[in-house]
Amino acid sequence: MAAQQGPHALKTSLPETFAAMNAQQPPPSYEHPSQEQQDKYLQGRPGATQQHLEIALQHAQQIQTQKDAEDVILNHILDLLDLPSSPSANPATPTQEDANKFKFSLIPFRPSDYDNLILERNYGDLCGYTLCPCKHRKQNHAPGGGFQFKYGPKGSGPGGRGRSVDIVPQDQVEKWCSDACAERALWIRVQLSEEPVWERRGDNTRGTNILLLEEARAKRLLAPAATGTVSGVVDEMNNLMLANGDRSRELAMERGDTSSVNRNGRVPITLQENASGNHRSGAPQMRPDDVTGGSIEGYVPRQDRSVDQDGDIDLFDQI
Amino acid sequence: MDGDAAHSMEAEREMTRLWRTFRTVYELLADRGYEVSDNELALPLADFREKYSDSLGFADRSKMKIQARPTELMKMKYTPLPSKANPNPQPDCGTIYVDFCPDSSGVGTKQVRAFNHLVDENNFHTGIFITQTPISPSAVRLLSGVPGRICEHFQEQDLLVNITRHELVPKHVLLSPEEKARLLERYRLKESQLPRIQVSDPVARYLGLRRGQVVKIIRKSETAGRYASYRWVI
Repeated sequence: MAAQQGPHALKTSLPETFAAMNAQQPPPSYEHPSQEQQDKYLQGRPGATQQHLEIALQHAQQIQTQKDAEDVILNHILDLLDLPSSPSANPATPTQEDANKFKFSLIPFRPSDYDNLILERNYGDLCGYTLCPCKHRKQNHAPGGGFQFKYGPKGSGPGGRGRSVDIVPQDQVEKWCSDACAERALWIRVQLSEEPVWERRGDNTRGTNILLLEEARAKRLLAPAATGTVSGVVDEMNNLMLANGDRSRELAMERGDTSSVNRNGRVPITLQENASGNHRSGAPQMRPDDVTGGSIEGYVPRQDRSVDQDGDIDLFDQI
Repeated sequence: MDGDAAHSMEAEREMTRLWRTFRTVYELLADRGYEVSDNELALPLADFREKYSDSLGFADRSKMKIQARPTELMKMKYTPLPSKANPNPQPDCGTIYVDFCPDSSGVGTKQVRAFNHLVDENNFHTGIFITQTPISPSAVRLLSGVPGRICEHFQEQDLLVNITRHELVPKHVLLSPEEKARLLERYRLKESQLPRIQVSDPVARYLGLRRGQVVKIIRKSETAGRYASYRWVI
């Protein structure tokens, strides 16, 4: 029977243990097999070519990246459980260090990962907002309950009179320590990118510049809304220079689409502009068979329909 | 007095439910091929109550820890076929450890991390973590991410009855690598041509099947008496 572990035994966190174990082991073999290994593999398989192997390896690498990214997210969740660093921190004015760590850790997150973080913090008896040191609300569950009334401030009701009333599920209320924290946490959530991190492209900056609610409010007061103009977009498009070989290689790399067989990726990019401006457009001219109406997908309708004695068109003749 | 009676009634109910779960765990271990004594398999409720309840009559889950060693038959089934690179393979199974989580709600990464640590520290090959409530998604991922060890999770209510004893559940038998090789040769198949069963299938979870293994499923048939089919675990 296993002895009960003292608290000191748990100090080494699991990610650290993994890191230590990985450090001892040789680097993972998934990086890329050497040419000899590839040749040896291909020898036993007459139908397979180097190209097949490359594609298989590429997919294997993609899957591995995905697993690695999930591990990173899990480790970030575990790290964020320990925030804020001081128990007396104020969620409205977090320390710069904590805020930066929070924002940096959130970059690979999807909203669902963020929900996991909130759940995990609640399980640890903490407010769902990562920078808040308080405990989350706990109410006695009414036997038939699960829902409760929530009243807005005075004058928030319909037509500016009375109070607005919301019926909210109890577990939604109990995630946070206060409504202010709920707002802050959900403000972060809407900024996260829905796309999983292993599919994101380099130019997608959504989810990388996360602002805390306080920062966003301060910024909105300072600066008027910046707008992009059409000409700006056109300029940027011109700057892309897709036809350039280096550029398309870079793009292929961003897609995760590079391999040693196709340096530029499996999708060749060739820009073909339609020649324009040389020929003038004019009115269409009649061709000889246009008199009868031309052909409809190869079928030429007959002009002279055979009429029976009784005067109606014979269906069989048409077929 | 009324409150006391209600109290003990509740404790009684909880103890009975837990006893059934506990017995299913022993049956599960026996079905997987671990060494389990007959006494443990047929543990009466009174003995269980005496052994695992606290002074108030409620269950004390921190006492409920089970360890079991694999039998020779199980070791044989889990030994891969000898190959050129590995002429003398070792069985890929070892001591199993079952832990009941005492927390009644909110089981997250904290408890799972402690469990993983315990399994790692004592060098158990497999660990089974049993909780009263579902565990959080990150905890599930953490549980399955221990390198070189197998950690599984069940809820107490999943094990309240032994699903494999139900009349509609056919008998699942794990094939050893040798039997699997013979099957594939007999029918001239590749393993990918077999029908499949998911590792998340309730019976596969019960038997602790791993990817790549093959199970023989024996059903009753009205016309043929018995009908065996084979499934590849994915």
